[in-house]
Amino acid sequence: MTLTRRLIVCLDVKGGRVVKGTRFVDLRDVGDPVELAARYEAEGADEIVFLDISATSEERGTLLDVAQRTAERLFIPLTIGGGVRTADDVARVLRAGADKVAINSAAVLRPEVLSDAAAMFGAQCVVSSIDAKLIEGSWRVFTHGGKTATDLDAIAWARECVSRGAGEILLTSVDRDGSRDGYDIDLTRAVSDAVDVPVIASGGAGSAADVIVAIRSGNADAALVAGILHDRVTTVAEIKAHMREALLPVRNAA
Amino acid sequence: MSAKTIVTIFDYGAGNMHSLAKALDVGDNVEIRLQRDPLAALATDALVLPGVGAFGNAAARLASGAGPMRDAILAGLPTLCICLGMQLLFEESEEGPGGGPAGLGVIPGRVRRLRARRIPQIGWNEVDSFDEALPEVAYFANSYVCEPDNEDCVVAYTTHERDRFASAVTIANAVGVQFHPEKSSSAGVRFVRDFVHGVIR
Repeated sequence: MTLTRRLIVCLDVKGGRVVKGTRFVDLRDVGDPVELAARYEAEGADEIVFLDISATSEERGTLLDVAQRTAERLFIPLTIGGGVRTADDVARVLRAGADKVAINSAAVLRPEVLSDAAAMFGAQCVVSSIDAKLIEGSWRVFTHGGKTATDLDAIAWARECVSRGAGEILLTSVDRDGSRDGYDIDLTRAVSDAVDVPVIASGGAGSAADVIVAIRSGNADAALVAGILHDRVTTVAEIKAHMREALLPVRNAA
Repeated sequence: MSAKTIVTIFDYGAGNMHSLAKALDVGDNVEIRLQRDPLAALATDALVLPGVGAFGNAAARLASGAGPMRDAILAGLPTLCICLGMQLLFEESEEGPGGGPAGLGVIPGRVRRLRARRIPQIGWNEVDSFDEALPEVAYFANSYVCEPDNEDCVVAYTTHERDRFASAVTIANAVGVQFHPEKSSSAGVRFVRDFVHGVIR
């Protein structure tokens, strides 16, 4: 056997609760992050990502408490992203209970945050979160939840993030996010072939078939799913059964 | 004298200790302590060197107590060493700038970079071993691996791409694992609890 391909479940967290909405609007409370994370572990998820979409510092403060309560119950890796700006922020989030920290907008503003964090905690806990959108034939990096365009080319930026110490790339297609039309395979493959660290495909999962294509054709090491699980379109176990049938190496849940 | 079995996690000052502390906590007869002082950490029934951080930083934190810690481990202190903790059992690492602080030198050998395209290795991989206490599949997050001079201490191997490396070693009453048992779901937690139960007995 070899390193298995991972299925990662993403939960949007705001004010200490898991919320669901469409592009940050119409947010609905869907439950307690600790409970939901534990349930996805039991179903066979390989990792959990909490994306903090809190708007205020009061809401953000509760995230560290959530991280600690989750870490005490969750025995698979937990990544936390959203609003991480400095190496001190990384330290706080790791200390609270995350195993990896995803850094997005802050790295665009100040790329040194990646090297600072990697030097202190090791590259394996530094995840570069990149939101990319196709504009006139090339992928452009967007920040601030996919709302703000930058001048950066996504493939060149992914290379730079890795050279600065990122140990993993969480690559989200802004075009596909929430669409359920499938991952952007061309984008995933372009980045995956350009860097030597693992790449997580994100944005657009509509079915197990999409996950399989992201791994097989997109060369992704892992695929991130959210909405289709929360809406019970499918389950972790069902997606992994399809991955197994497609002869991808996957971990069996205990 | 405390009637409880004391399990001390050496805290390098970085990273998530909650999952590990929870995995080690098998019940009322065990007390889990976090300790940042390497000498004070040796006043314990069992020692845990956790797996978060970079080699240079962690070795620097250990430096003031490295000799006594090495002696205690070789004299039979039950010790569980996870990921970076396993690497610290060795003499030196390719990680970080040259001439940096050394490891404990409990096991002769060195820590080298993985020979693979995708580095770090992040994800679940097979633990190939005859030792049934070890999980069969476990979560790894590492760029470096241990290369003992003498493979007699190796009790499990794992292969990333084409690089086959020691994923578990034992010496005296210490066990070192390159994977994260506290992140390897129920099989990993069982392995951690078996270690603690072995100390209580």
